[in-house]
Amino acid sequence: MKNGDVIQDSEIKGKESISGHLELLSDMGQDFATSLDIDETLRHGLQRIADYVGAEGGALFLLDESGEMLECTACVGPTEIVGLKLGSSEGIVGRSVQENTGEIVRDVSKDPNFKTEVDAESGFTTRSILCAPLSVKDERIGAIELVNKTSGDGLFDDNDLFFLQSLASSAALAILNARMAEALVEQERVKRELELAAEIQRSLLPDEKGEEYPVHGVNCPARTVSGDFYDYFPLPDGRIYFNLGDVSGKGMNAALLMAKTASLFRCLGKTIHDPGRLLSLINDEICETVTRGMFVTMLGGIYDPKKGTVKLANAGHEPPLYHARDGSFTPLPAEAPPLGISPLLTAGGGIPVTELGLDGGSLYVFTDGVTEGYLEDGSEFGADGLMTLLTDMASAAAPERLAEVKRRINRENVALRDDLTLLVVDDGVSMDGREQMAGEADMSDDETILHLQFPSHPDRLKLVRSAVFDTSIHSGCSDPIARDIVIAVDEACQNIIRHAYKGSPDGEVVLDICREGANLVLNLRDYADKVDVSKIKPRDLDDIRPGGLGTHFIREVMDEVTFLDPPEGEGNLLRMVKQIA
Amino acid sequence: MKHEVNEQGGAVVVGFEGDVDLQSSPDARKIMLECVERKMPILIDLSKVEYIDSSGIASLVECLQTARKSGSDLVLVAVSESALRVLELARLDKVFTICDTIEDGLAKVG
Repeated sequence: MKNGDVIQDSEIKGKESISGHLELLSDMGQDFATSLDIDETLRHGLQRIADYVGAEGGALFLLDESGEMLECTACVGPTEIVGLKLGSSEGIVGRSVQENTGEIVRDVSKDPNFKTEVDAESGFTTRSILCAPLSVKDERIGAIELVNKTSGDGLFDDNDLFFLQSLASSAALAILNARMAEALVEQERVKRELELAAEIQRSLLPDEKGEEYPVHGVNCPARTVSGDFYDYFPLPDGRIYFNLGDVSGKGMNAALLMAKTASLFRCLGKTIHDPGRLLSLINDEICETVTRGMFVTMLGGIYDPKKGTVKLANAGHEPPLYHARDGSFTPLPAEAPPLGISPLLTAGGGIPVTELGLDGGSLYVFTDGVTEGYLEDGSEFGADGLMTLLTDMASAAAPERLAEVKRRINRENVALRDDLTLLVVDDGVSMDGREQMAGEADMSDDETILHLQFPSHPDRLKLVRSAVFDTSIHSGCSDPIARDIVIAVDEACQNIIRHAYKGSPDGEVVLDICREGANLVLNLRDYADKVDVSKIKPRDLDDIRPGGLGTHFIREVMDEVTFLDPPEGEGNLLRMVKQIA
Repeated sequence: MKHEVNEQGGAVVVGFEGDVDLQSSPDARKIMLECVERKMPILIDLSKVEYIDSSGIASLVECLQTARKSGSDLVLVAVSESALRVLELARLDKVFTICDTIEDGLAKVG
């Protein structure tokens, strides 16, 4: 054979190969680009390469996340080695990865890097290997190898290598793309989960109750979810419970602890009307279960619109600001450590409660996201900035004032430094005005004397009667009046058990007895479906028949009986008043 | 609620003790209706009743009506203060025959 012939031969072969290569490359490129199952596409691609080059088998190895191990993820040919692991520089495939070059090893027995153990285990005899690295720029992903060429002269040549390298490049790109797509899908999923969590969080915040309502709040999370919260809700006696808190941290863990703390406050707050005791109980709960190192700073309070006073308990929270009618500001520092740090907090009798007359002024409770928020010029808003703004806007309605604070700090396209939360209690009427309004009306303390919560079970009524009798006597009632009050409460409880809860013993009944001046006021609350009050009539006593007497008894012995709309949610609230002095 | 039933001077005497309320009135009703079935005059002793509610009163009314239908007399005797208050509230103090003692009651039905 002349030299020239050889060249011609190889040129012709080269041309054929190139067109064949291009076709296969383009085919496989398409496969990779549209692949939904990258492993299957790789295995299929590997088979086509092996067939095309004429190799007995082939394997694809990928580096693990640490970059220290190579794992066979696809394999074709007589032996199955998927799952086989090698050190990242072990074997010929490892060398190819490390050096980031392809190579032809025509006789593996002469290559010191060849791993004879694999053949020994599988019973397969590897004679020659063609290997190409999978990499995109400098990012190493793994390598493809083909073993034992069976076609032609049985020897891998440069053409085969060139071809394998070209395919390896597009396969590497496909793998990388698939990984990025997977990461993107995961990111999307996490983002969606966060948005769902944020939605739940927003639902934990109270609905704005209109401009006239004395309490308002705003909350802007720095990220999707927030570690801040605020809440307010009315109590049956007209007072308003409110709170604002800040959980350490801003991530999902803070958001979950926020949800827990806010729920505890709302749930316990319905029955415990002492903010100090309430915060202590929440502290106990959080200490029992909280992850080490997390804590909550929180302020809980009760506003009494009738008296214009607030009772505050502050567990390690930023001092709230009292803005008096004369324009002065007074910070009210915390008197207890944050919640979740020490269960001993309650041992000393709970968190101290401060009582403050608002006298027509406003109380601002906020998180450090407000005072430490950045303004447009890059400076911190600060307590001074907040006070100046609130002074300037003193005549504006509360929602407008809050919106302005929010607008200053939470600007478009600027990330918040921290969650921003602000709550205001606006006492609309001054003390003088309040006294005029109240006229001769009784201003005495209407503290709850008895708070009783019990299941709608008939066997509890004896206990209830005994508690109501003792409470009535304690409040100064004569014996016959106390007995009459017992009859009214007992009959009202019966109505709840029999009609509202329809005999189910699992319902909840709450009785509050308080003294309002010369009156003893009894509020009886249930959580059953609403009872149609128009259908409740005292029975006609001329009609002598069993049943239907209870309502008549109640109206007969009480001075005032009214069905009120419960402060929130379902259920019924019966208010009974008995004049006792 | 405890109770005691015995026959005395040609009448059935049913005595209740404790509270006749939503919890116990179904039992009280059953006991009284069984007595009505004896077709004898009935005396219901309420001296030891500490509390009776509308459901207890309703049971009394039902027994009174059943007794009347079967032609038997039903008398309440020694009604405690708290039971009397509830009867008054229900305006039933004039509907029932009320006697101060069992003896008076026996004389009334005898």
